[in-house]
Amino acid sequence: MMKKIRLIILTIFLFFPNNVYSLIEVDITRGNLNPLPIAVSPLFSDEKTIENGKKELKLDDIGSEISNIIENNLLRSGLFNPLDKKAFLQKSDIAHLKPRFEDWALIKAQALITGKVSLENEKLKIEFRLWDVLAGREMIALAFTTVPSNWRRVGHIITDKVYERLTGETGYFDTRIIYVSEEGPKIKRIKKLAIMDQDGFNTKYLTLGNELVLTPRFSPTNQMVTYLSYFKNLPRVYLLDIETGLQEVVGDFPGMTFAPRFSPDGKKIIMSFAKDGNSEIYTMDLENRIVEKITNHPSIDTSPSFSPNGKYIAFNSDRSGYQQIYTMKSNGKSVKRISFGKGLYGTPVWSPRGDLIAFTKLHKGKFYIGVMRTDGTGERLLTENYYQEAPSWSPNGRVLIFYRETKSDSEGRGFSAKLWSIDLTGYNERLVKTETDASDPSWSSLLSN
Amino acid sequence: MFTLPFALKKPIDIPPIVSIELIQITDETNIPYAPKAKKIIEKVKKEKEKLVSEQAPPKKIKKEKPDSIPLPDQKVEKIQKIEEKKQNPEKEDNKIKQVSEFEKEEMFDPNEIAALIDKSKEEIAFTNEKSLEVSQSKDKSMNSKSLTLTEEDALKAQIFGCWSIPLGLPYNENLLVRIKLKLKPDGTVIRTEILDHARMNKPGQGFYKVLAESALRAIKLCQPLRVPNTGYERWKDLQLNFDAREMLEG
Amino acid sequence: MDLIRNLRNVFIVILFGFLMSACATKTKQMGSQLQGDVYTGTDTVEYLAKGVPDRVFFATNESILTTASRDTLRKQAAWLRKNPDINVVLEGHADERGTREYNLALGERRANAAKDYLMTYGISSNRISVISYGKERPVDSGSNPLSWSKNRRSVTVKAN
Repeated sequence: MMKKIRLIILTIFLFFPNNVYSLIEVDITRGNLNPLPIAVSPLFSDEKTIENGKKELKLDDIGSEISNIIENNLLRSGLFNPLDKKAFLQKSDIAHLKPRFEDWALIKAQALITGKVSLENEKLKIEFRLWDVLAGREMIALAFTTVPSNWRRVGHIITDKVYERLTGETGYFDTRIIYVSEEGPKIKRIKKLAIMDQDGFNTKYLTLGNELVLTPRFSPTNQMVTYLSYFKNLPRVYLLDIETGLQEVVGDFPGMTFAPRFSPDGKKIIMSFAKDGNSEIYTMDLENRIVEKITNHPSIDTSPSFSPNGKYIAFNSDRSGYQQIYTMKSNGKSVKRISFGKGLYGTPVWSPRGDLIAFTKLHKGKFYIGVMRTDGTGERLLTENYYQEAPSWSPNGRVLIFYRETKSDSEGRGFSAKLWSIDLTGYNERLVKTETDASDPSWSSLLSN
Repeated sequence: MFTLPFALKKPIDIPPIVSIELIQITDETNIPYAPKAKKIIEKVKKEKEKLVSEQAPPKKIKKEKPDSIPLPDQKVEKIQKIEEKKQNPEKEDNKIKQVSEFEKEEMFDPNEIAALIDKSKEEIAFTNEKSLEVSQSKDKSMNSKSLTLTEEDALKAQIFGCWSIPLGLPYNENLLVRIKLKLKPDGTVIRTEILDHARMNKPGQGFYKVLAESALRAIKLCQPLRVPNTGYERWKDLQLNFDAREMLEG
Repeated sequence: MDLIRNLRNVFIVILFGFLMSACATKTKQMGSQLQGDVYTGTDTVEYLAKGVPDRVFFATNESILTTASRDTLRKQAAWLRKNPDINVVLEGHADERGTREYNLALGERRANAAKDYLMTYGISSNRISVISYGKERPVDSGSNPLSWSKNRRSVTVKAN
């Protein structure tokens, strides 16, 4: 009897699952935008590894050094709040064990990274795990093996994996920035090409500073850089292979070539060529050196940037009388002005996702970095300052890096040029650490692809 | 190509990009728990333990395979596997994606979601009897279909505080996650169910999974939910619609 | 050595006196150094020869030659005709209130405006080359309208 009733009720339950008619719905439209609390437990390393780390890499404790890289990356992303290690109840030697989640929940961690490092026979092995503390589940477990000198990169790669798993987007930590290092007085600035890891470490200088160099940009393969050099007082576009150090002129036309960028497949360079007071946009095929003229207008046409599918080009032109942003097909047809807001617009850069164009805007004496859709709608200004320009996208299209200059007096006092980054949301504006003053940053693609 | 005099003559000393092998170490269920942390905060700890015995580990332990291999050995094995692969140059490119069959079974991405669903099922099983009893005793007294404003506000305010919205979400996508809850009279959550969980596996919707997970975390963090003292019948089934768009657009 | 130091002290005193008197009229001078926003002063100007100023100035975002600029360039043309062995480089510049790449193009346009004018006064284009520095080589570091106006310029430089 009882069984029957149960069966009937079960049937009812099945037919009217979840009591559709009576279900109360509550809309949760707000939350906190506080970064996710995450605990980065120092990666465990045994005595031998610590010893080898001291000897080979001059590191006190390689495990905690790598975890510091991860922690710093997560912090700077603005999406995570790495918790103070002093509050940790468990030591780092839990790497091979399942954490006691309640100990981590107690210090309000929602995610936890554990792992261990070993350094033996010129081999660096790292294992790490990401845990969902509240659900008590493992989210990732991965191991890497590499050469010891890559130890910083390992920290970046782990951060990429964690970021990817917790945000649903690809990361941008195993990347580099190429930029122009600046020193000396404002009227006689010494500029060199410099390259560094995304977090400001491992800076290398690629030129000596004898010539003015400007606007370096990475190729999509990260191996080549194109930039403007005033070598022999002839402003020309150059190509530099950063692994071999070989360079060559690519824009040796009778005039000035400038504003270079790679096409998304890395096979062409698009640039401006100025002659007789008129700047036009050209492409050059790097294999067969065929040059194509893309624009044809007696105004200034510059700062070209391909869309990620290579079908369109955004560029800067003053054909309307003032600097505005235009798009066109890659053959130069269908030119369309897309910026119609108040002020002047420059430096359009197509996002890697293809849906947005970042730009610099000058309005009423202020400079803004902003984004708009590729048809010019939905303009959003992310940051306002005395002077800033030249945004470059992180490879996942989430962050923009640009440079900012400060005011100075007639002797140049107060002047500085620094790199800054900001999220697409307009949150999380941060100074990007560089050894010297810096400008014209360009973000590489992910190195580990 | 030639080297121009203005550049550094020697090749630039940047460490070569050595590919790094990724493997999955092991399934979570094989890992033993860490020893308890030293009793730094004795009191809190004791309280905590009470909580723990109520909620967390038992399910996991049930799942644990009896013949679970200690982890260290396993790891060594797998890393060796990778090394073997390395000797075959043709496979180099695939290195990063290479996973052994055994590991493939346990790849987290698809299964994780399965795990989520499994768990809810498990929890249903765990509580079915109870809910049946409840549905037995209840009449069709479902006339008052909503919470009062005060009741709703209390619940909302609580969850607002628990929900860390992942800031990395694309602001221009549909960011609504609907989660159905089954509650105990004290506001403890018996079961959670993501209504559009199919969407979690769709390509290009990775952010949706992240959003759903954040909503689940919020519910976990908020337990027991601030439910009204009376009228359990009304709210024992509750649907929470987490919508991040307003926050992210603003 | 002492003599030099003394001389320098005297010089400083004189200079100081100058500055004092300059201060009194400073605001007035500021105004008179700008017409619209084109620089009309002589602070930074150097001379190719007596009475032949080396540079012309432009309005913001403009490459149009003012009456004063045309006057200067006619003097340069006359001087170049008198010195047929001299070739020149026209260096175009912009102020710091623009994007780097656009300013490179703008500097080039300014220098070419000057070049075109010299050519209409009979100077062969073979004798003139053009280079743009954009905002890279200011003469005045200041971040104010007067400094910027000095930096918006095309400078004629002897090439040999």
